[in-house]
Amino acid sequence: MRISLNWLKNYVNIDVSPEVLAEKLTNVGLEVESIDYLGKKYDKFLVGKILKVDKHPNADKLTVCKVDIGSEIIDIVCGAPNVAENKLVVVGLVGATIPRNQHDTDSKPFTLKRANIRGIESNGMICSEYELDLGEDKSGILILKDEKLKAGTKLSDYLGLNDVVFEIGITPNRPDCLSHLGIAREIAAIFHVKLKKPKIKIKESKELVTFAAKVYIDDIDKCPRYTARVLRNVKVEPSPQWLQNYLNAVGIRPINNIVDVTNYVLMEIGHPLHAFDYDRLKNNTIKVRTAKDGEHFVTLDGKGRELKEGILLICDDEKPVAIAGVMGGVNSEITETTKNILLESAYFLPQSIRRTSKLLGLSTDASQRFERGADPNITKYAINRAAELIQRLTNAKVLLGYIDIYPKPIQPKKIFLNTQKVNRTLGTNLTYYPIKNLLQKIDIKFLKRNKIGLWFEVPTFRPDLERDIDLIEEIARLYGYDNIEIKMRSPILFSEQANFRDFEDEIKNYFFGRGYDEIITNSLLSKEMASLSKDEYVEILNPISRDMATMRTSMLPSILSVIKNNIYHQSKNLNLFEIGKVYFKDSSVPRGPYTTPNYREEKRIILAKTGISECPHWSRDERESDIFDLKGEVEDLFVMLSLDKYKFISYTIDRTLTEMNLNIMYQNVEIGYIGKVKKEILELFDIEQDVYVSDINLDILKSFVNYKRKYVPLPLYPMVIRDLAFIVDKGISVEKLLETIKLSAGELLKDINLFDVYTGERIAPDKKSCAFTLQFQSEEKTLTDEEVTQVVENIIKVMNEKYNATLRK
Amino acid sequence: MLEKINEIKHQIEQDIVNIKNSNDLENFRVKYLSRKGIISELYDLIKSIPQDDRPSVGKAINELKIYCQQVFDNKKQEIENLSNIITEQIDLTLPGRRRWVGSLHPLTKTLKEIKFIFQKMGFDIADGPEIEEDYYNFEALNFPPEHPARDMQDTFFISDKILLRTHTSPVQIRVMERTTPPVRVIIPGRVYRNEAISARSYCLFHQVEGLYVDEGVTFSELKGTLVAFAKQFFGSNLKYRFRPSFFPFTEPSAEMDITCFLCNGKGCRVCKQTGWLEILGCGMVDPNVYKYVNYDAEKYTGYAFGMGIERITMLRYGIDDIRLLFDNDIRFLKQF
Ligand SMILES: [Zn+2]
Repeated sequence: MRISLNWLKNYVNIDVSPEVLAEKLTNVGLEVESIDYLGKKYDKFLVGKILKVDKHPNADKLTVCKVDIGSEIIDIVCGAPNVAENKLVVVGLVGATIPRNQHDTDSKPFTLKRANIRGIESNGMICSEYELDLGEDKSGILILKDEKLKAGTKLSDYLGLNDVVFEIGITPNRPDCLSHLGIAREIAAIFHVKLKKPKIKIKESKELVTFAAKVYIDDIDKCPRYTARVLRNVKVEPSPQWLQNYLNAVGIRPINNIVDVTNYVLMEIGHPLHAFDYDRLKNNTIKVRTAKDGEHFVTLDGKGRELKEGILLICDDEKPVAIAGVMGGVNSEITETTKNILLESAYFLPQSIRRTSKLLGLSTDASQRFERGADPNITKYAINRAAELIQRLTNAKVLLGYIDIYPKPIQPKKIFLNTQKVNRTLGTNLTYYPIKNLLQKIDIKFLKRNKIGLWFEVPTFRPDLERDIDLIEEIARLYGYDNIEIKMRSPILFSEQANFRDFEDEIKNYFFGRGYDEIITNSLLSKEMASLSKDEYVEILNPISRDMATMRTSMLPSILSVIKNNIYHQSKNLNLFEIGKVYFKDSSVPRGPYTTPNYREEKRIILAKTGISECPHWSRDERESDIFDLKGEVEDLFVMLSLDKYKFISYTIDRTLTEMNLNIMYQNVEIGYIGKVKKEILELFDIEQDVYVSDINLDILKSFVNYKRKYVPLPLYPMVIRDLAFIVDKGISVEKLLETIKLSAGELLKDINLFDVYTGERIAPDKKSCAFTLQFQSEEKTLTDEEVTQVVENIIKVMNEKYNATLRK
Repeated sequence: MLEKINEIKHQIEQDIVNIKNSNDLENFRVKYLSRKGIISELYDLIKSIPQDDRPSVGKAINELKIYCQQVFDNKKQEIENLSNIITEQIDLTLPGRRRWVGSLHPLTKTLKEIKFIFQKMGFDIADGPEIEEDYYNFEALNFPPEHPARDMQDTFFISDKILLRTHTSPVQIRVMERTTPPVRVIIPGRVYRNEAISARSYCLFHQVEGLYVDEGVTFSELKGTLVAFAKQFFGSNLKYRFRPSFFPFTEPSAEMDITCFLCNGKGCRVCKQTGWLEILGCGMVDPNVYKYVNYDAEKYTGYAFGMGIERITMLRYGIDDIRLLFDNDIRFLKQF
């Protein structure tokens, strides 16, 4: 919210710099996000007088102007149709920043440079109202009508921009600070000075308002209070400059004196008002009632709106004239011909206004204040302030008295505050007096005290203060967070057993060490991508875009788009991994300490490899990555985790995204797969090289990991090594050969490794040779040559019987 | 005399075998073949032997000299060949046999460091789901229905009562539901906000939440813990401030700023000319929250805090566009 320093000074003495004031406000919780020195924006803009206009020699639509800017006469090339001699205009000098570029779709500001426009030097720019951010007219340059103006006058002086405006972030709990008086109250408390609230003087006419208008409230819960006054013989015209300057400073565009006054009071006192054209209210009547479904209403912004059941309306005797607390209607708005007005100053229930605002998708200055909580007991003060100002500006007749419907007045809350609790929460040693003094500074009334604590009465403009803890916050805030001493006395706590190993970190470090780059990607993606999974995916009701309308069911699409982008930047050899979650709808999931019912989240790791398999080196040939690169990674991962019961099953069932699949099994539980991404999927990502991936469920993998290890005695007797090469049919898988060898070898075989596979000229064309290294060892004795040979012969025999395998010599 | 010549020959035979490099070779040459070497000395000795013996001794010395020169030449050739082999066949300037070097994502690195510091201070690590119930994300955190505070966090909805968590704070409730005080945890995790993607905001980010509830936990201690964290993380000479703020689930609430380390507090683009950088939000757990988890608000007090990992990562590395963190360009990833 924008707060003007000049405006504040009407209510409180400020004798510190804007920077110091900003810091003090921030320290009490009113965060000053920026300070805007208004004059700065028009630093290099002057009033200029056009002395002479000539046609541009090289362009039909351009003119060359001689412009008097006080200190000198400069040449400016101009393209506006309304350029004319002897006119007063605004000139932006070289170096000036034009606030809005009217030739840019985003109206971005730009800085003026000395330019040569088709052969003519231009030393500045004559600006339009739009470019100066002073209005919306783009059709031509702004012509200043004030004849007394001198060429060379600074634009900021002319506009009265000697103000400083603070942009303050007001948290939703502080509706009282959405006004200049509210901020001034805080400043008075900070600097221990007095707050000067405006004193109101109105000359009331003899005509009684109660004869001039009637107000009825249907729904007193949603509208606990409605105050109205009637003013006759107003003259609707533009507001005086001082009023326009204030409104401009806080970012409200002046409209006419009546509307401007209601806005002025809104920004001054913080209470939203509305002015109706009295003569357009049927039977001079106001009825407050809720809407019916399907009712139609045109709001001030000219938009037709379908109303819904429960929306609170301000109506006259036959039709709605305003959406209560949100926006008025076109049918009763103030126009140039308005003679008499009815002013509304009401209090509406915050929840009701918020609901209305949500239903209509319409949020206004008024609705924001009502939904955060306005002060029900300020309606009269606010309406009087507006009546006073309108009378001052237009000499209007203010009718005698008010209409004020307030059947159940809202009383200030009384709160008891235990002093010990203050100190127990804050870690301070505050006694009665400082507590009392701090709270009194912000108009919280001290009532009485007893041995334990103090009673306070909280004014109704602070709806956020309901409990003792709310007062404790106020005390801390005003005492100063920085003045609360640091004390650390927390005991050492231990969890049941220290968790030394963070499984996820361990996996990350492992693959990082193996040369993989960790990526982190968006978990929202398009429905098309999510539906590639056979499981039910999770959809978002209100997505940002179609590309992000569902939760991912696999991390494969995002890793592929990362690969695509990197290939685009010439990084073609990629080893990537991501650890993240995938999400499914799953009615079997119950509500639990770690789960949301009907939704399943799984932690997964995805590995991807593409391009050449190893760092290029002069000593070796480059080789494209293949499935065995990833299979090796997964096998090594199991070794790293001391898991030895893994198995890979060549997958014959089709997967949507990959082919050449290997299912990764652990103790007969499927924990993931390795595969080659299908061509048609790669095409979706414009990837022209093979990509291999492995996707593993980390939750399941983790459940198999046993960090408790037991020492196994080292072997006492030597190991015997034998190499055997078998020639078998090409179609027989190595897995089967290994199984058979292990089975036929018995317990003495400790390890077996395939070290060569050969096909070629030296053996029959339908055969292959597989060479194994076998390690034999006994736990009881040193094995003799004969004992090993006996085992080996059995292996050869079984292999021959089963696969017709012959030994390769 | 002939005996002596024989002895020298033996010695030559031994010495020549021990020659390993050009240094040894030169020593050998000086010892035997130089003008003051052993063989020259032998020639001098001829004068002192009987006339008759001189021809035979002279001949023997000549033969010795020829022999010595010959073995020397052979050895010299051998040594030269050897050094030629080394310089011709092994170019040690060739690049070594390397492997790809991987990288951890900068967000992972930041999170690791944050976890490290809080773990030293006795915080455990807790976890919870990202698809969350309205109850945990808002209601139990003292965001009443139809309350403007809900607007502070633009929310993705899955259904009427199910949403993508907008902060890690719902895990506070889950942890308190399953534990009795004392509770001291940090909760890292992914959160979502329905905001247009730009250089400054993304539809998701990562937070680390902290919670400590026990008897006698005060705001003063909250400050102490967070100052200790900030000094460990950003450096011990950092300046900081706590300023009042608003979160429905803490009261009093605060935001912690540190002096902008890019401009040393003078004001720059990153700190929006304020000289301060906001690094986290915190506060004392609101007593209303205890009602939802059946904690005795008269007995226990506690604090909570939360920080954005992206924000802290961007600040410390000077990254000016949050999207870079999710683009995963390896030229970016390999910088950290
Ligand atoms: Zn800075």
